[in-house]
Amino acid sequence: MSALQKSLHPAEKYKAGKLGVSLQKIGLGIAVVFLALSLVLGATHGDHWKRFLYSYVIAWAYIFSICVGVFWLVMLHHLVRGRWATVVRRIAESMSMAFPIVFVAGLGFVIPLVAGYQDLYYWAHPDAALCLEKVAAGCGEYLHPTLVHKLGWLSPGFFAGRYVVYGVLYTVMARYFTKKSREQDDSGDPQISERLRVASGPAMIVYALITCFAAFDILMSMAPKWYSTIYGVNFWGSACVGGFSALALMVLGIQRTGRLTHSINQEHYHDIGKWMFAFTFFWAYTAFSQFMLQWYGNMPEETVWYKYRLFGEWQWVSIAILVGFWAFPFVFLMSRWTKRIVPSLVLFAVWQLVFHWLDLYWNVMPSYDWIASFHDGAQIVAGPLTGSPAYHHVGFSALDITVWIGLIGVLLAGFGKNLHGNLIPVKDPTLGLSLAHENL
Amino acid sequence: MTDETVHETHAVDHGSNGNGEDGRLFGVLAEYDTPGELVEAARKVRDAGYTEFDCYSPFPVHGIDEAMGIKRTILPVLVFGGGATGTLGGLLLQWWCNAYNWPWNISGKPVWSIPANVPIAFETTILLSVFTSFFGMWILNKLPQVWHPFFRNERFNQVTDDAFLLGIEARDRRFDADATPALLKEAGALKVDSVHYDPDPATARMPKWITAFIVASTAFALIPFAIAAKARTSHSTEPHIHIFPDMDFQPKYKSDQAMDLFADGRENRGELAGTVARGSLNADDLFYRGLEAGQWSTGFPKQLEINDALVKRGKNRFEIYCSPCHGYDGRGAGAVPQRVAAGGGAWQARNLVDASNPVVINMPNGQLFNTISNGYNTMMGYAAQIPHADRWAIVLYVRALQRSQNASLDDIPSDHRNGMQMPEAPSR
Repeated sequence: MSALQKSLHPAEKYKAGKLGVSLQKIGLGIAVVFLALSLVLGATHGDHWKRFLYSYVIAWAYIFSICVGVFWLVMLHHLVRGRWATVVRRIAESMSMAFPIVFVAGLGFVIPLVAGYQDLYYWAHPDAALCLEKVAAGCGEYLHPTLVHKLGWLSPGFFAGRYVVYGVLYTVMARYFTKKSREQDDSGDPQISERLRVASGPAMIVYALITCFAAFDILMSMAPKWYSTIYGVNFWGSACVGGFSALALMVLGIQRTGRLTHSINQEHYHDIGKWMFAFTFFWAYTAFSQFMLQWYGNMPEETVWYKYRLFGEWQWVSIAILVGFWAFPFVFLMSRWTKRIVPSLVLFAVWQLVFHWLDLYWNVMPSYDWIASFHDGAQIVAGPLTGSPAYHHVGFSALDITVWIGLIGVLLAGFGKNLHGNLIPVKDPTLGLSLAHENL
Repeated sequence: MTDETVHETHAVDHGSNGNGEDGRLFGVLAEYDTPGELVEAARKVRDAGYTEFDCYSPFPVHGIDEAMGIKRTILPVLVFGGGATGTLGGLLLQWWCNAYNWPWNISGKPVWSIPANVPIAFETTILLSVFTSFFGMWILNKLPQVWHPFFRNERFNQVTDDAFLLGIEARDRRFDADATPALLKEAGALKVDSVHYDPDPATARMPKWITAFIVASTAFALIPFAIAAKARTSHSTEPHIHIFPDMDFQPKYKSDQAMDLFADGRENRGELAGTVARGSLNADDLFYRGLEAGQWSTGFPKQLEINDALVKRGKNRFEIYCSPCHGYDGRGAGAVPQRVAAGGGAWQARNLVDASNPVVINMPNGQLFNTISNGYNTMMGYAAQIPHADRWAIVLYVRALQRSQNASLDDIPSDHRNGMQMPEAPSR
């Protein structure tokens, strides 16, 4: 029977209880074991931690992007006065509150960078600055002169400063939305919803800017002479695929403990699935926009990024991402039923979470191999994306997996830390509508 | 209205047009107070076994399709088919145009290339999906219906405003003139009306003016095609039709036209004796014309510092302006000669670096500069596109090309030769 409003089921278990503490323990356990293992593997890898730090940046971008994805739902829900998501909004809020922990975890690569580590980002390598003097004399063979103009922006100190700014802004915004929402649980004041709606507009603008610049700084600058203005949008699309997939898994996990079993149903999973579907396509749309303009324009400083992804071993990863991250999920999730049948939706959530990682790996790892060239008889490190693509191997390492799982542990601990009190906003004015939500 | 009783099915009811006459019984129309009651009533009607009934509401009511026992629409499947047709059709169109019917070499790019075709295929996918969705919705709903017997009921006029109505048609095999209205009333109807066909059968037909309009507009839409078809097979000695003659023939003078106003009959006004136009002095013969004491200069103007940066600049300009004909290596086999060869012709641009016939190698710098500026044989001058300093940079780069294209390993200083090897594979 349809009704426009419903009230909370009397037998509903909507208190977190010990759930958060348990999740925190599990997360910390995973993090400690796998990061310790990673440290051992990293130290014995024999490349002065370079591989470890590359894996670390990829894994960090992964957990960061999941927070970016779920936090978007929180703000959007307020901005458009959404209804369906009220029952899952508290869970999304708790997940977005992992931002501070995620940004502390990111110090794992920011501190070495500031301390003078040269082999992670090429722009932090002295030979990049050397080319500043040598550009006129021929270093431009390998280094496009645009890098010269970027070295001010891409300097370790400024980079770290921006990193702190991003972390603080995300944390402040996530905390504001979560805190006010929890205040409403006590007071039931409908004005709080109004205030959050007013705040969500400017917050969305700040969010868009810092997400874009964080993607530029942390991921795009891995290939510092290359540039793409849509890169941040593309990262965000991938992040939202990850965010909504993670949300689906989180909701299922919470329901498995016997909580929220009456409030969240097929209809809400269906809507989460719609977002997964939409962002799967959005990611592909922006990725293709980036590719096609650069492919068609055929300018060396732009196509260089694709040269190392469409030739040599990396072309197989590119094809795997095209098929696995877009074509297959796109066709599969198109149907109403694959989104409404929870096991199939969850299968694709896991699938997309794996391919989201592969997408980040594909964004970063081709920059791993740096080639030395000779100039005036002296050896100069010409940086990433130089030499023949045939020399650039995919070469998965055990470190990729252990660091990834370790940082997922950190993320889970971050989720768990904020999973307390009510698991749904019990006094939100739109809760009744959300509980009665039906897809036509 | 709640105190009204069920009308006798053959009585004159509130639903008639007011002319007092009624035709055959079409069905009954019941009004409910809320969407919830409408859903409940629909469920009861369905459970009673009726199939020829429909619900009318001002907005979509959640759960009504399930209550009425309506199967899910097949529209999504049709839209998928439409979208897939769009994708394949878009690809086929581009393949036929670009690769099959009229293959055309554009800068040596492949005539058939999937990345370039994706945007068009994407658009045709969207187009056909939306068309299928839009027209499929109308057709599956049997719309538009320009006339329906329920239009005769006055409450039906409110169905886009505040009325929640349920209508059962008399052709339903379970329909009964007494039991059906009673069922609707029992389900909580505020009021149940009988609705009859209009006695005049003309009202059930499409009005003549609509038919006339459709025929006329279809015929009108064919006119442009008819004109195009005629133009393909006929010749005309008439000039173009000028739709905007004042734009086509503007009352103004363009360069080098005749004009009565001046004694010389010319529209152009030359420079006055003893004056120079701003920025046109160009007194330096060497820099602007490549001349030194009336002869082609063999050096470079002193304004330019001959260094690596200038060579790079020349390389950059050369590859933009010169390489399409002369080729990146200067041997005269650029994209344009290749295009000519692909079309079955034979034409080469001048080989700039040929040591066996060293015309260009022996040319003084000034003459090279002059050739770039003013052209030579079929080569047009590039003075308008390339500033003077860049022309000199190109001359410098051509000199570098001439040396490098005819160089041997001995020309490289021994301490630089190790840089000529391929870089080593990186260690992981």
